[in-house]
Amino acid sequence: MNTRSIRFRLTVWYAGLLASMLVLFGASVYIGLGHYLKLTLTDSLTKEARQIGETLLVNVSVSGEEYVTDEIKEHLAPELNGLFVRVTRADGSTLYESGLPKDGSFNPGNVNAPRGDSTQVSSRVERLPGGVDLIICAVPFTSRDESRFLIEAGAPLKQSESVLHGLLLTFVVGLPVVVAVAIAGGYVLMRRALAPVGEITRTAEQITSRNLSERLPEAKTGDELEALSIALNRMIARIEHSFRHVNRFSADASHELRTPLTVLRGELEGIAQRPNLPLDVRETIGSTLEETERLSKIVESLLAISRLDAGEALMTREQFDLAELVTDTADQMRLLAEDKQIALKCAATGRVEVEGDQGRVKQVVVNLVDNAIKYTSEGGKVEISVGVAGGSAVLEVTDSGVGIPSEAIPHVFERFYRVDKARSRQMGGAGLGLSIVKSICAAHQGRVSVESSEGKGSRFRVELPLANGQSRRSQ
Amino acid sequence: MRILLVEDEEKVSRFVIRGLTEESFAVDSASDGLTGLELATTYNYDLIVLDLMLPELNGTELLRRIRLTDHRVPILMLTARDAVSDKVEHLEAGADDYLTKPFAFAELMARIKALLRRGSVDRQNVLRVADLEVDRLSQQVRRASRRVELTAKEYALLEYLMANAGRVLSRTMIIDHVWDQSFDGATNIVDVYVRHLRSKVDDGHDTRLIRTVRGVGYKISDEADS
Repeated sequence: MNTRSIRFRLTVWYAGLLASMLVLFGASVYIGLGHYLKLTLTDSLTKEARQIGETLLVNVSVSGEEYVTDEIKEHLAPELNGLFVRVTRADGSTLYESGLPKDGSFNPGNVNAPRGDSTQVSSRVERLPGGVDLIICAVPFTSRDESRFLIEAGAPLKQSESVLHGLLLTFVVGLPVVVAVAIAGGYVLMRRALAPVGEITRTAEQITSRNLSERLPEAKTGDELEALSIALNRMIARIEHSFRHVNRFSADASHELRTPLTVLRGELEGIAQRPNLPLDVRETIGSTLEETERLSKIVESLLAISRLDAGEALMTREQFDLAELVTDTADQMRLLAEDKQIALKCAATGRVEVEGDQGRVKQVVVNLVDNAIKYTSEGGKVEISVGVAGGSAVLEVTDSGVGIPSEAIPHVFERFYRVDKARSRQMGGAGLGLSIVKSICAAHQGRVSVESSEGKGSRFRVELPLANGQSRRSQ
Repeated sequence: MRILLVEDEEKVSRFVIRGLTEESFAVDSASDGLTGLELATTYNYDLIVLDLMLPELNGTELLRRIRLTDHRVPILMLTARDAVSDKVEHLEAGADDYLTKPFAFAELMARIKALLRRGSVDRQNVLRVADLEVDRLSQQVRRASRRVELTAKEYALLEYLMANAGRVLSRTMIIDHVWDQSFDGATNIVDVYVRHLRSKVDDGHDTRLIRTVRGVGYKISDEADS
């Protein structure tokens, strides 16, 4: 998973935000509820204590203390209800204290004696041994005969704590589930929302100088993505326009150069054919003609490149065996290699069917092998291999020649680029051979690359798509 | 032999006329399409050389109109365009051959001769230049009655030179004929082969038959050096 993708990041942010919001919410609910529960408990305990006073203690001088204790036992049954009740006289002696509750949750004997003579209703929490928290409300009461009592009613906090516990448990279990569902839902939603981005990316990747007329899909959603794809399409249109312009310029220029070249050449040839020319004139005319010829070749090459790059349908498409083509071409060029005592080896294994313009592909082979021979010194070697690798037809031309300096490698396929300007001009190159190779490869949806180490040699690698997967290797 | 040249570029027209006249053709010329059409339909030409881009009436249209009245006359198109689709279109419209500018005059000449020869193939079985002899049937080569062993490519090259003896052949023509257009790049393959051929044919003989015409190409000839 790409952790830098918008989808991932947005989901993480959103899930994190949601989780923290939920934790915050849960905490406030928890604290609020805890407060509320304690408050209600305090309230009801106070009420209870007050009731004891108002109904039982009010006439204690008449009814007697026995009556009070009996009534408390009978009506409140503190032991049964897990309550703590204590009635203390003004002198500090205990009139009544409830017994051990039935569930044994606390021991009333451990409760501290009331402090001083409180004249106000108060409540406190006492921690008894055993870790039981008891909340105790104390209500001072004065009976009709002016005797003063302190009535205390208490209950373990545990009762409200168990409610809080339940709530906490619900949160602990529920929160991750809610967040997980949110993550999954968010991820799916993001995927749906961002699906056009993937499509735009894929299409944009496929747009090269050869299919600039293609456009990105424009999702008619009215959202930002539609705006983006429209903007990108306008940009591609502008690129296409300027590309066309450059291409048309070089096509037009080479086209316009042809007629003057024809005249130049025709006139010069006319002179060259004349008998009895002085030798120096003949030499000059010959040299001028050679340059005219070179100029014509450059014009031809430029025109060919701009045509190929413009994707003009000048290619005949046929299926052919690349291995055979390469072997034949190598044989036809063998003499060039022998002339320089270069060992020319050609390894082609089995049929390698490709589809395209045979003449153009042959031109690729000729240019690469010619280059290899040109830049390899006498006694060196040039190896050609054809095969299938990674679903492509692969042609490699390896030489033991001068190699290409690493800083020049990115440029060797550019028009008019020369690695060693003096040397290649002397060899008659115009720096267009490799550009043509590149353009032809691109026109066949293939590619050409080079690796080289200076002084040791170069390896040019051409990859072309196989013809409809019809390649069989019979090794 | 009478040839009509329809070409609006005056200078191109001039050197083509001069060259053809030197080769003993009678040449009429027109510099626009309408004049060309008038001449083509009035006189009987043995061959018409037609530029593609013409004022008044363009080459394609002129070609169609000529073909309406005359199906037979060989027509060679000259053009500065070389897109394959154009070529096909014109060959279908009735052009017999197609030559792209800039061309070597030798190539124009070779194509004109080929078109004029068509139908009456006079193919000599034995080609001779001085004491060099090429037997096209057995593909054997003799110089001064001694066998010369050649590779297939060397033989093809020699045969092409011999068949055009006395005429200069450009490197492009040789490549197109002996190899194919794919080799017409930066390669000096023709020079290497000619050198090898020369060493087999001319070495050890007083007269060197295979000549280099600098800037133009090669020819085979026994004339004294011109």
